[in-house]
Amino acid sequence: MTFLPAAGVVMILVGVASYYATRSLHGMSAFSGLNVALGALLLLLGGLAQARRFRGFSGAESRRVVLRWVAILAAAVAAVIGVDVWARALTARVDLTVDRQYTLSPETLQLCHELEAKGGPPVELVFFEDSLLAKDVRLLVEAYGAACKRLEVRDASRRAPPQAARDLYTTTATAVIACRSDACDPVGYPSERNITNALARFTRERAIRIYFTVGHGEIDLAGESDTGYSGVAALLRDEGFDPQAFVSPAAAEVPADADVLVVAAPERDLMPEELAMLDRYLGRGGRMLVLADAGQRSNFYSEFLARWGFTLDDAVVLDRASSPLLKDPKPVNLLVHQFAPYNPVTRNLSPRTMLLLPRARPVELGRKPMPDDKLDRAALASPRSWLSHDVAAALANGEPPPDSTEPQEIALIATGRYPRGKSEEDSSKEARIVVIGDRDFASNRLLDALYNRDVFLNAVRWLGNDETRIALSDKAWTPDQDPLTLQQTVAYFYFLAFALPEGLLLLGIFAWWRQRT
Amino acid sequence: MIRRLWALSRKELRQLFASPIAYVVLTVYVALTGIYFFQHLVSYNQLLFVYQSEGMTGGGFDQGTVPTRINVLNEVFVPSADDFGLFLLVVLPLVTMRVFAEERANGTDELLLTSGLRPYEVALAKHGVTYGFVMLLLLGSAIYPAVVVMRASLGMEHLAALYLGQLFYGCAVASIGLACSAFTSSQIVAAVLGYAIPFVLLDFAWLSNTVSEGVAALLREVALLSHYGSFARGVIELRNVVYFAGIIGLGWLVSVASLELSRAR
Repeated sequence: MTFLPAAGVVMILVGVASYYATRSLHGMSAFSGLNVALGALLLLLGGLAQARRFRGFSGAESRRVVLRWVAILAAAVAAVIGVDVWARALTARVDLTVDRQYTLSPETLQLCHELEAKGGPPVELVFFEDSLLAKDVRLLVEAYGAACKRLEVRDASRRAPPQAARDLYTTTATAVIACRSDACDPVGYPSERNITNALARFTRERAIRIYFTVGHGEIDLAGESDTGYSGVAALLRDEGFDPQAFVSPAAAEVPADADVLVVAAPERDLMPEELAMLDRYLGRGGRMLVLADAGQRSNFYSEFLARWGFTLDDAVVLDRASSPLLKDPKPVNLLVHQFAPYNPVTRNLSPRTMLLLPRARPVELGRKPMPDDKLDRAALASPRSWLSHDVAAALANGEPPPDSTEPQEIALIATGRYPRGKSEEDSSKEARIVVIGDRDFASNRLLDALYNRDVFLNAVRWLGNDETRIALSDKAWTPDQDPLTLQQTVAYFYFLAFALPEGLLLLGIFAWWRQRT
Repeated sequence: MIRRLWALSRKELRQLFASPIAYVVLTVYVALTGIYFFQHLVSYNQLLFVYQSEGMTGGGFDQGTVPTRINVLNEVFVPSADDFGLFLLVVLPLVTMRVFAEERANGTDELLLTSGLRPYEVALAKHGVTYGFVMLLLLGSAIYPAVVVMRASLGMEHLAALYLGQLFYGCAVASIGLACSAFTSSQIVAAVLGYAIPFVLLDFAWLSNTVSEGVAALLREVALLSHYGSFARGVIELRNVVYFAGIIGLGWLVSVASLELSRAR
């Protein structure tokens, strides 16, 4: 190799290497660019200087061979490009991730069909690969592009995004933005659940309206403290719901546009007129989510819920296997892992996906108001749990477990369906109630704990007739986040980074020695 | 033909493992991958510790303080796969540089080509043995990740995808190196070209600001890295398989062409 091409190759290598080393600081530096350009020039000059060596191919036979091989190579390159273009159009892939993370769920595909059926302007998914959240967004977004005909996928680094998407983009919080015409909606963490929810917001004619009753010591929807529910309010808005407060003592009827009414742990009695209003609401196919808590006494629990088939004993559920996570030694912080698999509120949950319900109260099924009504238990406390009727003492000091070891079945979440003379197909007119024997599980402090959020969302979705999305939760697989202790890591390191290479090197020395002798 | 190929492959294998270079390359690769995998694991352990510590000092409920996106896959496997790819690029030209160039420098290529072996058979045997060596390299580096995969319930299928990607990538880099070796009698030239071409092909992001969008998109399709990443994520895409198979095939074809040209000259 003569000097010119060798120098050219070295300069190109240095130029590209300096680019890789400094690209996080700035793009292509002048140093890198100059090296690459000069290197290419030297390589070209060297190549021209070497051209005379091809004189060796000046014979007719040689020329024929050269031409034949140039043609074969050109045809091979063209074939590779052709197959590549075909493979690109095919978008065929095998997803070998544990939870098939890049394979869209049937619910998402259903939504794609809905988008297609409804027509209108196409929806666009704009994704930004320079976002901090965008580690694996391309694969997921491309899966949407391949599955949804009414969906266009735009890589913002290749094609400038719409102005509305650019306005919403921040490198730390957004990786994907869904747009339709001029309206854009940022997707939070780019998971299938979040992207599909963003698309669902474009298909829905209006947001599902959820009213929260106030006036009886219920939860504070705007409260930002640990016990407040501002997290729930934000979550509901993100998921396409419209949460509103409802001052029931001042109202004659539940608003007609209420899709769901939440009665979240009233601490005082409701007026008889209010109870009658709630009866009328359910009687015309209303939907109600009830949160109750241990130690609360209200005629809402003892009279109203009893009328609709639920018995909320004035007790607190205790369990030996209480969660130590709240740093509370008392056995009141229940880890719940027994679920009815076909109940819509707990459909996604399994013994591996637990709930944390502190200070929960039992929710038992009473007498059905009508024979056709359907009452079900959705979640049970562990068989080793027990009830304490001295709620104040149990909450303050805990309580030793009873001597009896008989397994108990104590329900903590229950659901009711009340068809009132409507056809079975018209499920939108069926009254529904979900009773959860805890109010703290969805407070700001615990909403994101374990699968609490999923249960809350499942409940409001089922009540709000948004059932298809219940099945769509984030892929449940979570890798063991702590697979090796530091000691184990170091032990493996000694073997793999020292002992194994050492053995290989000794083998090499042996081979060299044998070759010499 | 099979018998001829087998005989030639055995000769290649003997040559490869008779010299210390194969062992040095194996040693360097296994040590580098072990060290870097360890570094990523330690950083990940520290990251976990930081998250968990913040949870403890917060005095509240600890669950959720380590976001699910902080996991072995994102923090250890994907960055390690990027490193492993670069290491393959560093060590493979050391193996490929001698495969054809040594024969040419010693004049044994003429013996080979006049011994009844066809050029494509010679190229097939040499490429096959080199790809086998790439597999051996990957096998040595897979022990550590396999242990972590089993303990982190990441799924052996995912590991298989990761290593299939590395195998394709390694074979593509080796194929380029072999093609370079086939065109020269100097091992140094073969090594320099074996480094330079894959290194330049690795990623064209550095050019994206200076060329038009269309050219940048085209260059991205040519770049090695843009076809390698999805394997580490556990997804095998047909287009990436086709891309690497195309490079491997073209490298072999160039080697055959070089042998044919030598014979014609």
